[in-house]
Amino acid sequence: MVSDVKILGFCCNWCSYGGADTAGTARMQYPPNARIIRVMCSGRINISMILKAFKEGADGVFVGGCHMGDCHYASGNYKWRRRAKMVGDIIEEFGIEKDRFIFEWISASEGEKFQTTMTNFEKTITGLGPLKRGFKPI
Amino acid sequence: MDSEFLEIKSKDDEVCKLGECGGSVTSILKYLLESKLVDKVLTIGKYDDIYDGVPVLIENPKDVNKTAGSLHCAPTMIGDLVSKFLNDFKVGVVVKPCDSMALNELEKRKRFDRDNLYIIGLNCGGTLMPHPAQKMFELFYDVNPEDILKEEIDKGQIIIELKDGTEKGVKIDDLEDKGWGRRENCQRCEIMIPRNTDLVCGNWGADDGWTFVEIITEKGKELIQAGIKAGVIESKSPKQEQIEKRAKLEKIMINLMKKFETKHLETEYPSLEEWDKYWNRCIECYGCRDVCPICWCRECEIEKLNKENHSKSPDPLTFQGVKLSHMSYSCINCGQCDDVCPMEIPLSKLFYKLQKKYRKKTGYNAGFGEELPPLYSPEME
Repeated sequence: MVSDVKILGFCCNWCSYGGADTAGTARMQYPPNARIIRVMCSGRINISMILKAFKEGADGVFVGGCHMGDCHYASGNYKWRRRAKMVGDIIEEFGIEKDRFIFEWISASEGEKFQTTMTNFEKTITGLGPLKRGFKPI
Repeated sequence: MDSEFLEIKSKDDEVCKLGECGGSVTSILKYLLESKLVDKVLTIGKYDDIYDGVPVLIENPKDVNKTAGSLHCAPTMIGDLVSKFLNDFKVGVVVKPCDSMALNELEKRKRFDRDNLYIIGLNCGGTLMPHPAQKMFELFYDVNPEDILKEEIDKGQIIIELKDGTEKGVKIDDLEDKGWGRRENCQRCEIMIPRNTDLVCGNWGADDGWTFVEIITEKGKELIQAGIKAGVIESKSPKQEQIEKRAKLEKIMINLMKKFETKHLETEYPSLEEWDKYWNRCIECYGCRDVCPICWCRECEIEKLNKENHSKSPDPLTFQGVKLSHMSYSCINCGQCDDVCPMEIPLSKLFYKLQKKYRKKTGYNAGFGEELPPLYSPEME
């Protein structure tokens, strides 16, 4: 059964996006309600992009980057990791559960890891249900 | 260098009379201008009355006397003025702890050259909001607020001096139990003695008519020594018991602060529903951003993200949320965002809470040290 939650994934061009590709060519099934946006590096991702995704209606946001030390640009994923520490704290203050945001390190060869991460994440989000926000502009 | 303790006092009788505790700060400022160590002095002075503390920029040493005396109804912050308008000049600046923390954060961001500044810190037990202060004096002191010539905070009391020379004091605790007294941010402020300056002046532990000075940097030491040599100030070293008394006072204040911190950030912290009500009040005036000493970008991302519908309150996720992601790790709890907000949204509670969380995770304490927040680090790890 396919639930109707929306998951947005930011994947880095060199690793996670490759991982998604590997999963695809190997015909591994992963939840169809995940939309993937390719970015050149996880270091490119700002917290504001995650916040904007939630504002525009995403129920869960996933960020994938290269394993530590594998970044194509040497230190992009370290920069992202420092930023990622804050995301949970910020979205919590606006009534969005911390679990609705995850980040993971997936290399281009790890199609299986991509599949399991996405499947598990989809399960969590389906369990939480669609995002309900208290704020409704008058 | 290790800090050194001194007691100083002005040698000028007029300054002694005008200023608080021997007029030391006024004399030091005068000396700075007269000896051309600085081009300008930035401090807080009265505009109309004691409820009207405004930033004052002084070039002529004769004008310094006008700013003598303590002023507590002055929640104005002057830290960001230095980085915005005065970074080409040599400036002597008088700061309370939140100003000094703002200066420290801006210095890390290379907004000005620290060598150009003489930073003179003041012990601070808190400030009062001008308008509520007038009401408080009416209610609890039973006086006409316009009759008050001077106010000071000493020995846990807010003491006022009236036109006819009488003094009245009420305990701060009694006032704050009833919801009056100092600003909320000052109640939960952690820093009473700003040790990120060149020298700190205050009356804690000092003899009557003297100022207790803690010298922090070499620069501060040189300034005091030069002042003594030029005959502007006189000095004596304090007794051990005075130093202990000062440390004890600081400890008492810190314990009091912790009580308020738990109250403001935990037990009485607004619920999510209350926050949603607050967000629906927001009129998108950008006052909180403009007044924030940490926010200094020339191009602001919040403006770009909130272009759509100006007839409704902006979505807090892309308004306050993005602001949080940009500055909360450096929030110094100055509370100016609360002060300027026309819709009275208690923003600083949220910002400060996040800085506390960030501090727990990374050990970064906003307003101190020489390192930028870990987010700015170019390092791999």
